[in-house]
Amino acid sequence: MSDEVTIARTSTTTREAITLATEVRRATLVLAASAIVGALALPWLSASYATTLAIEIMIAGIFASGINLLVGATGLVSLGQGMFLGLGGYGIGIGTTVLGLPLWLSVPGTLVVVAIMAAGIGAVCTRTRGVEFLLITLAFSQMFFGSAIKLRLTNGSDGMSGIPRPDLTFLGLNGDNPVVFYYYVLVVTVVAVAAMWRIVESPFGSVLAAIRESERRASAMGYAVSSYKVGAFIIAAVTCAVAGILQSQYTYFINPDSMSWQLSGEGVLMVIIGGTTTVVGPLVGAAVFVLAKQGLSILTTEYMMFFGIFFMLVVAFFRNGVVEALKSALWSKP
Amino acid sequence: MQVFLTQILNGLQLSMLVYLLAAGLTLIFGLMNILNLAHGAFFTLGAYCGVVVGSLTGSFWLALLVGPLLPFLVGVGLQSMVLQPLAERGRSTHLDLALLTFGLLFATAGAVEWLFGSAFLSIPTPVALSGHVNLLGISYPVYRLFIIGVGLAVAVGLTFVFDRTLLGATLRAGVDNRAMVTALGVNINALFAIVFGLGAALAGLAGVIAAPLTSVYSQMGITIVVETFVVVVVGGLGNLRGSFYASLIVGMTNAMSQAYLPEVEMFAIYALLIGVMIVRPQGLFRNVERVG
Repeated sequence: MSDEVTIARTSTTTREAITLATEVRRATLVLAASAIVGALALPWLSASYATTLAIEIMIAGIFASGINLLVGATGLVSLGQGMFLGLGGYGIGIGTTVLGLPLWLSVPGTLVVVAIMAAGIGAVCTRTRGVEFLLITLAFSQMFFGSAIKLRLTNGSDGMSGIPRPDLTFLGLNGDNPVVFYYYVLVVTVVAVAAMWRIVESPFGSVLAAIRESERRASAMGYAVSSYKVGAFIIAAVTCAVAGILQSQYTYFINPDSMSWQLSGEGVLMVIIGGTTTVVGPLVGAAVFVLAKQGLSILTTEYMMFFGIFFMLVVAFFRNGVVEALKSALWSKP
Repeated sequence: MQVFLTQILNGLQLSMLVYLLAAGLTLIFGLMNILNLAHGAFFTLGAYCGVVVGSLTGSFWLALLVGPLLPFLVGVGLQSMVLQPLAERGRSTHLDLALLTFGLLFATAGAVEWLFGSAFLSIPTPVALSGHVNLLGISYPVYRLFIIGVGLAVAVGLTFVFDRTLLGATLRAGVDNRAMVTALGVNINALFAIVFGLGAALAGLAGVIAAPLTSVYSQMGITIVVETFVVVVVGGLGNLRGSFYASLIVGMTNAMSQAYLPEVEMFAIYALLIGVMIVRPQGLFRNVERVG
């Protein structure tokens, strides 16, 4: 008899769980739809200042999404992703201003070159794990940072200017117009986040999750763990390079600071703020971070000190991120 | 030949300066498994503390004595009041605490800039150590020889403490089996805090002795700490003896590339690191012993 009670109880909990899951899915869809509608309407609703902020948030969000594929999906904490942001910017900088190539060649060319470089760098870095991985990615980024400062071709520490925005005249649009550029970045962001979602949900993503939870078990099951890790490293690098291309087009400019250690750290901070468990987490983290940075720059010039303190507080008290905290606040039934 | 000899001495001096940082980083990692990214902050704190004491009293020796005290206190406080409680609450010592110290590195640089401004400061070279000395046909600054001496003395001292004293035995036991050491009645948390403080003090000492040679500025720690990471990874994380040899390798690579191949100066040591990672991902000296 007690068995029947247990079964009955389990089936209710299962049913409740299913309804809960459906509710969660519906709510997520509603949220996503309203976010997209809101994003589309933004330039009409608000001042140009908000449009500028939104552009910065989306670019930072793409950067953070790339980092999250390593940190969240694969469990490899990298402190060197800034190097790929910089390589993206320098790639189209060299392509357009030094080689004189059109953008439609420079952009894919840059992404291919970054992917090839990431394959080599990733093959070395993924031989280590944990803190050693963190240190070696940092060393690689410092190496590129050092080269960028020294290299004459890219104008040393002054950086390169005159990086063009996309030519949209065939649509009758001008890329230099902030609103047009906003929509361009929005389209890229939606595509990047959707692609990231597909990757994480794919069988490839499941293997990455298996590696994160237990590398030994994944390799015992016959997966070529190191190729998967290098694969994740390449995708993450290309995503960060996309952010770098957009960033350099946004400011018409690229300099070695975009490869700095601090910038890589800012990306990791966004990922932690947003939480590593969801695909939109990095975007939320980027929004919180960019807005907090803007607020801080109004209040004080000592940005670096508050960046450090903020970073420590987030790691100490908010380790699971804002999205996770919101989720448990919204959907935890007493 | 004379240029080469000078470069060897310069390389030794660079090695010993980095060794002072690498030794502390290695002790902390070997014992507590914490990668202290804020190690450079202690270097900065020591240097600024030295500058303040030096300019108030006019004595380099007092600055050398007092400078490491502030990093020691901050280190003990950080370990016992922040890192230890977080580790006990189940935070991963490897990654969460490493990221927390990353924040501290920038917070310290920012705070120092807020207090002292972004000007470049310095401590004058003490009279007893100024001037040059003739050595094998070259004239070499006494102060740089002093740095080499301090580094070697610290290396010998640490080896002695580790191999020959009760504290060293407790530390080695703590690395091997933490639970057993606790069961034997050793207050492991106090031990951790003191070792963290000592590591920080060594970094502070490096900051003070570097001050007469290089300029003191708010981000000096961020620059040198990356070089220290290269040393500890090349030497094998947590291996004290390995960190000494790796300091020599990295310091020499640095000095030689600066002298003979200035184009590759910025990334010679990273190329070295990458080479080591390809051949031996666990570091050159990892399998010898973990600490000591």
